[in-house]
Amino acid sequence: MSEEICRRGISGLSGYLPMLRLDRTSAAKALRFAGLGGRNAGYRSTAGWDEDALTLAAEAARNVLGTAQPDRVCFASTSAPFFERGHAPLLVDALALPPQTRTIDVAGCRRCAVSALLDALLGSDDSLIAVGEKRPVPAGSNFQFAWGDGGSAVRVSDEGGAQLVGHASSSHDFVDIYSSREHPSPYGYEERFVKETATRDIIAPTIKAALTDAGIAADDIDHACVIEPLPGMWRAIGKACGITAPNHASELSAAAGDLGAAHPLFSLAMAVDAAKPGDKILLAGFGSGCDALIFEMSGPVAGTEQARQALTHGLIFNDYVRFISLTGALDLDWGVRSEFEQKAQATVLHRNGRDTIGFIGGRDTKGSVQFPKSRIPVRPDADGPEPMEDVRLVDVPAKLVSVTADRLNFTPDPPFWFGLVQFENGARVMMEFTDADDEGFSVGDEVTMRLRIKSHNKSRGFRTYFWKAGPLRRPAMEA
Amino acid sequence: MATGIKDRIAIIGMGCTQFGELWDKSPEDLIVDAFEEALADAGLDRSQIDAAWMGNALDDINVGNSALPLAHALRLKSKPVSRVENMCATGTEALRAASYAVAAGAVDFAVAVGVEKLKDTGYGGLPLRTKGLANDLWMPYGSAPGTFAQLAGAYTARHGLAAEDLKRAMAHVSWKSHQNGALNPKAHLRKSVDMETILNAPMIADPLGLFDCCGVSDGAACAIVTTPEIAKSLGIANPVTVKAIQLSASHGWEAGYSEWDGAFVRNTREAAKNAYAEAGIGANDLSLTEVHDCFSITELVTMEDLGLSADGRAIFDILDGRYDRDGAMPCQSDGGLKCFGHPVGASGLRMAYEIYGQLQGRAGDRQLAKVDFGLTHNLGGQPANSVAAVSILGRLN
Repeated sequence: MSEEICRRGISGLSGYLPMLRLDRTSAAKALRFAGLGGRNAGYRSTAGWDEDALTLAAEAARNVLGTAQPDRVCFASTSAPFFERGHAPLLVDALALPPQTRTIDVAGCRRCAVSALLDALLGSDDSLIAVGEKRPVPAGSNFQFAWGDGGSAVRVSDEGGAQLVGHASSSHDFVDIYSSREHPSPYGYEERFVKETATRDIIAPTIKAALTDAGIAADDIDHACVIEPLPGMWRAIGKACGITAPNHASELSAAAGDLGAAHPLFSLAMAVDAAKPGDKILLAGFGSGCDALIFEMSGPVAGTEQARQALTHGLIFNDYVRFISLTGALDLDWGVRSEFEQKAQATVLHRNGRDTIGFIGGRDTKGSVQFPKSRIPVRPDADGPEPMEDVRLVDVPAKLVSVTADRLNFTPDPPFWFGLVQFENGARVMMEFTDADDEGFSVGDEVTMRLRIKSHNKSRGFRTYFWKAGPLRRPAMEA
Repeated sequence: MATGIKDRIAIIGMGCTQFGELWDKSPEDLIVDAFEEALADAGLDRSQIDAAWMGNALDDINVGNSALPLAHALRLKSKPVSRVENMCATGTEALRAASYAVAAGAVDFAVAVGVEKLKDTGYGGLPLRTKGLANDLWMPYGSAPGTFAQLAGAYTARHGLAAEDLKRAMAHVSWKSHQNGALNPKAHLRKSVDMETILNAPMIADPLGLFDCCGVSDGAACAIVTTPEIAKSLGIANPVTVKAIQLSASHGWEAGYSEWDGAFVRNTREAAKNAYAEAGIGANDLSLTEVHDCFSITELVTMEDLGLSADGRAIFDILDGRYDRDGAMPCQSDGGLKCFGHPVGASGLRMAYEIYGQLQGRAGDRQLAKVDFGLTHNLGGQPANSVAAVSILGRLN
């Protein structure tokens, strides 16, 4: 590789998991009567009803945002909620980045995020790539336990602490699984065919080419992040390549599930977190071919600790019916109150969408902060219109003033928690809460903001996003 | 300088339908029933009605836009009719509009009708909007019990009280209203309920259980107002008069500025203060109250907001029986929203109907011994964003 390219690298890298973790072993017992469920161990990260690929990507991106604004934002997913509505522009607004930021969505296969990363590394922009996956999985399928929901994000710049030292790519219309508009859930072909052919013809040759490009030997690799098309393939892939390093992608699959397009960058964050200066890391993304990238650690990379911590902090549950309800495999009849649907108006989104998804309030001329902004401030002594300065509330410390668990209004995962939130800078907002643990919420609780689906209009296939108050800390999972 | 409307309006006729799940009644039926009772009570002919105001809160699901349903139902020929709406304070808003028309000298006889047909929604609770507004992009879709349940945690936090003690006081509020509702032939819920049943009822919105929530009802109520001079000319020597009607509406302070602790309803305090001043009386001069007990916690904090209990003392006054029908300051002698029911647009007028009856000694089994002044408290919205209407009724002399 040329000296110019070698200076490019990763300056931020992180991952995000939903709070809920399905205990695979316990949950699979519900399928014992059918002989389905397999022999599963570990946990399956499970998105809440109000999470989707965009919100998961946004949460991961928050960990790598830093102070410098990226030139370009890329959203990557195979389960993006919209076919026609850009997700990267939504991310720009959710992260309160300038509207001049260039945006692109990538998709097509679960390798897309790695391909986007390679393009960014070979380019010249300061790029943010945010990845999210919440893939539909049929009840009883192997996918439902093997896959998980999550997000990852990477920041590429000229000053990265993980520098690209070699790479190789191969394009191959290899159909191990597919999903389509007519068949939105995955359809998989014979596992023996996939295991043998993908390793022999696609993954191993690409990795070897990347090693050659980097000018290093297989045993120079200290950490591997190699996507396994099916669980347990790393042993064969490593053997074929001569690599004996631990595969963080396998560890992530066991702890949370295969995160699809988000998996490679999440596992790369784990590897970088474990690496020391001078270590070499192999990243291989798979799907309709393979991209293999080799990095050398030369300095710090922000955000990796949050990815590592996400693996061990969450709420374990084993209710299979709740699980298939959350993943969309079970369509419960929730009664007539669930018929409520609210049509979001494009004109309203045009006027208020950016401030809403960015959680932008206003500071009036006397320093009082409020949300939403208004022509005349809510401050008691205000007596006429005042200009307001934008104030983003997402990262401002906040506590609960009032709270309830509402069991009357429909929510797909009852109860419906909400109440009044007081921000440290003086703003206060009546908000929905999310990620309730077993203890729920109480007056005085400290909370953090999470980007979530605010309304989901199923009949029109539309959703809006806003921030919800979640617990400041997640429970530590038992080892 | 405004002098208020004290004793400038006489209520000469009132009507109120049975409240409840009135599957066989249309909104028009309810309007006619309430109006005909009021008309007969006033001894007027319908041609004497000069103007009418119809209070209806939820036009999406029941009566319909404008006051045309009222004009059609009552066949008020080419009369000026208007619809008013101020959420759950709608009933009092209709009475306020009719009263102002009379006080202004614009008309001799004005009608206020409140009506709601909630049981055409097809489910329990109140309906939700289907139009996406800017606020819907961020505001929680909390249910009515959810929004009022917020008071409870904030109240215990403010006063350092145990949640269990508050729950017991809330249960007493509902127990008392069921006792009173059982004596009211027009009430939606006419059954006494014991404390243990109330305390152990299924949770609706923490800490509000099923019996902490009012009924969702169909119903209508009506008042006919005129001047005291005209009332006397009709042979009513000492008519019931309006001593005060005051309204206070949120401007965003509670949920948007960092001062409110969530444990009281500021608009109730503001409206009550102004109503006492307009009527020239204090809280202790009242004989009874009909307050907006949409939820037990609402009635509890309202006792403090009206100045009937000191801050932090309402739970003790409630448990001591101060607000029971045989207590020092009876509250909800007709069963309140809790048991008479809550057809939203009608409730403010239903409260006035009970005070009107009590002032005239016509409250039947519920009649109190001595009634000089009665207060109605009609609350729209939620504690964090409310409209409070307080009226005081008495006799002219």
